[in-house]
Amino acid sequence: MLSLVHDSQELPRAVLPDPERTALAALDRRSPEEALAILMREYGTAVYRYCRQMVGDEDLAEEIQQMTFVQAYEALPKFARRSSLRTWLFGIARHRCLDAAKMTRRRRKRFGPLEDAPDLPVPGASTEDRMAERSRTGALEKCLQKLAPHIRDAIVLRFQQGLSYPEIARLSGEKAPTLQVRVARALPLLRRCLEDKGMAP
Amino acid sequence: MIQEKTGCDRFETEALLLLEQGQPLDDHFSSCPDCLEARAAYDRLRGGLSSLGKEDEPAPDWQARVWEKIEKRKERRRRWSPWWIAPVGITGLAALAALFLIWIPGQTPAGLRIEIEAGTTVRRGAEAQPGDLLRLAATTGGARHSELRVYRNDTELILRCSTEPPCSRRRGKLTASVVLDGVGRYQPLLIFSEKPLPDVASDLDTDTDAALTAGADVELGPRVVVR
Repeated sequence: MLSLVHDSQELPRAVLPDPERTALAALDRRSPEEALAILMREYGTAVYRYCRQMVGDEDLAEEIQQMTFVQAYEALPKFARRSSLRTWLFGIARHRCLDAAKMTRRRRKRFGPLEDAPDLPVPGASTEDRMAERSRTGALEKCLQKLAPHIRDAIVLRFQQGLSYPEIARLSGEKAPTLQVRVARALPLLRRCLEDKGMAP
Repeated sequence: MIQEKTGCDRFETEALLLLEQGQPLDDHFSSCPDCLEARAAYDRLRGGLSSLGKEDEPAPDWQARVWEKIEKRKERRRRWSPWWIAPVGITGLAALAALFLIWIPGQTPAGLRIEIEAGTTVRRGAEAQPGDLLRLAATTGGARHSELRVYRNDTELILRCSTEPPCSRRRGKLTASVVLDGVGRYQPLLIFSEKPLPDVASDLDTDTDAALTAGADVELGPRVVVR
């Protein structure tokens, strides 16, 4: 069984966004299929984007995203309602992404790092700005991949997914102040990394 | 463009954490040029992180693949747990429980053990004194007929009982006691059978032979010597 949240109170429904309330109502009617369909529609892309940054590989991210929802479907009838469904879902995805990220890291240590592709502008882009933007994004993604998985996780959840520190703390089981320090220390690392690539933020 | 290192690094060492903690920054940070520059750089970095993967989309059929995987897992589980598993399991467990309650106590192997009681103390050895009490406890292995006997000097039957006093029978256990009132060798034994037991004829050997011939089982207890 999944136990990804660490407080014991059930969240009042009034504080939840509409899709969550609809999904919970579906669960009340014992229709996990309907609840899953809502979750996939609402959070499917966000989970994919999170996984994509966490594992740095499109195919693997897609596989993890799909398995996150498969696992969610199986655990939905036992959902304890102590957090939002979104936080709970990201908790499942996070476990799988961290496992995958650790494996990738181990593999790289064993076989050596993959050659970095140059951060060249994408050919055929419509404007110079757009090309520069793409290039910066590519560099930032590479810099993120150089961080340890648990640091990358905090950064991606905080900035890409816009989760609050209490939410990240709830799904990761860590304390919010610890996460704040982790993020504050990681930002200069990212800045230096970008500077090394000739792309100041 | 590469950011040039400058003198004041308070923004990185102090302000970054304060901002993550949601704390206000002191006046220094709004007047120090290095800090203002650093703040602008980190705002851009945050902006870049927020828009990471903005154009990334999962494959169009990803939801269908999730349902496929769910179905496959359900199918795999169904294959490993056919419909008859639950009823057969429950019936099996019930049968085992019944066996335990009815059959098992009746099938406790037959055996005979003795205790010699002298006054208030209990001795487990085979030596006794006149006046000591010999206690017998036997399990009959679920046999329909059984009795306890004690022979003195192999020739004199001083105890023979089955269901009547001094024997008492409870849940397949037969108990009795007899006072060892004279010097001699006392031989306790248990006879049990599905058929009625033969009558007592004379001495230990003859009676035991007769019982064995009639198809009964004989369990000899430890011989007790009273001096």
